[in-house]
Amino acid sequence: MSLEQDMDTSAGVDTRAASRFGSEAITIAVIFGLTIVLILGSRFISPAFGGWGQTETILFLSSFLVFCSFGQGLVILVRGLDLSIASMITLGGVLTTTWLAGSNEGLWYVVPAILVVSAAIGSISGFGVTMLRIPPFIMTLAMGIIIYSLCLGYTQGTPRGYPAPALADLMRAHFLGVPAPVILLLVFVAIAVVLQSWTVLGRRLYAVGNNPIAAHVSGLSTNKLTIGAYAISAMCAGFTGIALAAYANGATLRMGDDYLLPSIAAVVVGGSSILGGKGNFLGTVGGAILLTTLGTILAALGIEQGWKTIIEGAVILVALIILRESVYEAIRVWMGRSSTG
Amino acid sequence: MGTGGLLSVNELAKRYGATVALQSLTMDVAPHEVHAILGENGAGKSTLVKILSGVVRANGGTMRLDGIEYIPHSIVDARRAGVSTAFQELSLLPNLTVAENLLLPNVSGGPFKMSRRGETVDAARQVLSKFNVTDIDPRSRVEDLSLAEKQRVEIVRAFSHEPRLLILDEPTAALPDTTWLFDQIRRLTETGVAILYISHRLGEVRELCQRATVLRNGVSTGTVDLEGINDDEIFRMMVGRAPEARFPGRTASIAERPVALEGRNLAAGRLHDVSFTLQQGAILGVAALEGQGQVELFRALAGLDPISGGTILVDGKPTAIASPQQAMAAGISYVPEERKIEGVFSGLSTAANVSLPKIMENSKAGFLTYAQDARAITEPAKAVELAERYFGFRMNDLSGGNQQKAVLARALMSDARCLVMFDPTRGVDVGTKQAIYNMMRAFADKGGAILVYSSELAELVNLCDACLVIYGGRIAAEVPRAELSEEHLLSAAHGHVDDAPLRVAS
Repeated sequence: MSLEQDMDTSAGVDTRAASRFGSEAITIAVIFGLTIVLILGSRFISPAFGGWGQTETILFLSSFLVFCSFGQGLVILVRGLDLSIASMITLGGVLTTTWLAGSNEGLWYVVPAILVVSAAIGSISGFGVTMLRIPPFIMTLAMGIIIYSLCLGYTQGTPRGYPAPALADLMRAHFLGVPAPVILLLVFVAIAVVLQSWTVLGRRLYAVGNNPIAAHVSGLSTNKLTIGAYAISAMCAGFTGIALAAYANGATLRMGDDYLLPSIAAVVVGGSSILGGKGNFLGTVGGAILLTTLGTILAALGIEQGWKTIIEGAVILVALIILRESVYEAIRVWMGRSSTG
Repeated sequence: MGTGGLLSVNELAKRYGATVALQSLTMDVAPHEVHAILGENGAGKSTLVKILSGVVRANGGTMRLDGIEYIPHSIVDARRAGVSTAFQELSLLPNLTVAENLLLPNVSGGPFKMSRRGETVDAARQVLSKFNVTDIDPRSRVEDLSLAEKQRVEIVRAFSHEPRLLILDEPTAALPDTTWLFDQIRRLTETGVAILYISHRLGEVRELCQRATVLRNGVSTGTVDLEGINDDEIFRMMVGRAPEARFPGRTASIAERPVALEGRNLAAGRLHDVSFTLQQGAILGVAALEGQGQVELFRALAGLDPISGGTILVDGKPTAIASPQQAMAAGISYVPEERKIEGVFSGLSTAANVSLPKIMENSKAGFLTYAQDARAITEPAKAVELAERYFGFRMNDLSGGNQQKAVLARALMSDARCLVMFDPTRGVDVGTKQAIYNMMRAFADKGGAILVYSSELAELVNLCDACLVIYGGRIAAEVPRAELSEEHLLSAAHGHVDDAPLRVAS
């Protein structure tokens, strides 16, 4: 290089170590730690709790939330919000039961078809948000209402049919003593983490969410990337619907309702910024498992639905207050001090 | 301390963190006077306006109004003391009507009293006609007005507070016809009002003002009687030299090189009929006062805004540049004006910030690792002297200078043959400036072409092989290297093209 001048003014002043995303690692550790404490602590409530069996159940139950939270997280990452998730789950479930009608025949193309239909619907939402500049909140809310109404009309009020027996069997199967859905969860999480954190697509989505103007100036197709995030979100919700229908051996029109707000909560509790551009999927996974654990324990305590919801809301708020950036900075400074002095 | 005037300012200073916006300003303004403030971009003019109008507080020095200490805490506070301001970035609320804007904050009788629409409109109409504005309907919403109309509303509002001291910050920037304004100014000064007049247009200043205070790098270099001084002397007072980075030497001659980038009769926004040629290995500078059309030129070349006329030629071939992707495909890389808004991904690592344009090419089938990122950016980071240990830092944790180095490294990352840089050294420290100069020189020496706008004339004079001066959306002058001097550039940037040594562009 032709630059051997002795002008290195930046070096030698700044002695900070590269704190590579320390706060994200702390968030994930704190959330998983809290979850483990909750599960172990539930032994005091009932001796049947707190063991591996209960952990399996919780992982199993939380897998549905994890699936749809991944898509929600990507949409939030690019500064959006997906309120159509509940309807998309319902759509996935309804299509699974009506198209398969209790038979294994056609399973190999029905499942991909449902995912493609879901992605196409998500692309329409993304198109509305980017090209037509409709606020994400309104666009996905409207899309959710339209899809729900289509499901209502298509099933005439009562979804009929059953998922393929193979799907239902899969949900009950065990491999090496581990329930198949738990394995499915682990595989899904592995793929999602790689996609979000270790691929070009993921990096570009972070860039768009972090600074859409700079992303545009840098030559990224911000619109295409945003549409992609909505498509993936809808696809994840459709997948959740298939899994739920297989688990429940049927579909209902309200089957997605319990997942919309928790999917947002899981993302935010998991350390992502609701304003976009920041977050890690492992945190979201932790958030989803934490919320599911809490729900399970509260249900086991026999707490009334009203109080249960109040406590869940309060826990989400407390988690958000604790898991702030400033708190991590304080922890980091404190740890740095104690290690040097 | 002199108390003869209406306003007396003594050693006024303002710092924003480490940045000194105003170092020491001393002046006084008398009643009946129209007093001009002159200075280059960034000399401290707008800071002075902000302090006087109560938007920001000074860190040092004193201000006295009629002998009484004057420390405004807010715009309303300043108004109460008799100082009102017509701001350059208009301070009107676009979604309200002209009437509501004029009467704010006194639209209603109190927080719980309903405003009477009719009364508001009548009162506003009276205000407008008092200052001889009859063609603006007080009921129309501000966002529906033309820029010139908005500017007049802004000015009328400042008039209407019946100030003792009136501050007009670039009041003619959007006014095609200045007769109305000058008539009003003369009428007001007859009643004893003092006016602080900030303008880049020396002709206007000479027509209107009696005295001028010249600012240079945040220091007032003196107050002059405009009668007894010529333009050259004023320019000399405005041009200053702070302790500066060393400029790298230039290559002997670039005359015979092929043309890398050419604009023919370009038009975009207020830009008209702009033609230029940029040769390989050359650094072509652009000098202009704020808002003369340079932003449009650079954004058009970067593919951010479309051109409305003319042709862009890359390597002699007409090339459509309608998006940043197309600009990059044509080998043009843009260094944006607003680092924070258009350049930096504050939440991503430095490595991710720099590697972005080429991540697909540098990935393994779409998969990334930190090591790959770091390897890919080694070369461009070295070119801008960005230390390797910052690669893993989040961009937010870097200093402004290092952020700018990362943005420049990203521009180099895309293998561009042509850099289009808008004020690349704005707000960075001397060390970073040096690194940027070295990088530009090295890029040109390897055959790259650079088009650079800078608000620091010294940079243009010392770095460039030639310099375009844009004034009012047109190329006012094209100054060859042998004739580059700050005085020339500044005088041409003010629209003075009659000075002998300047070659007027055809």
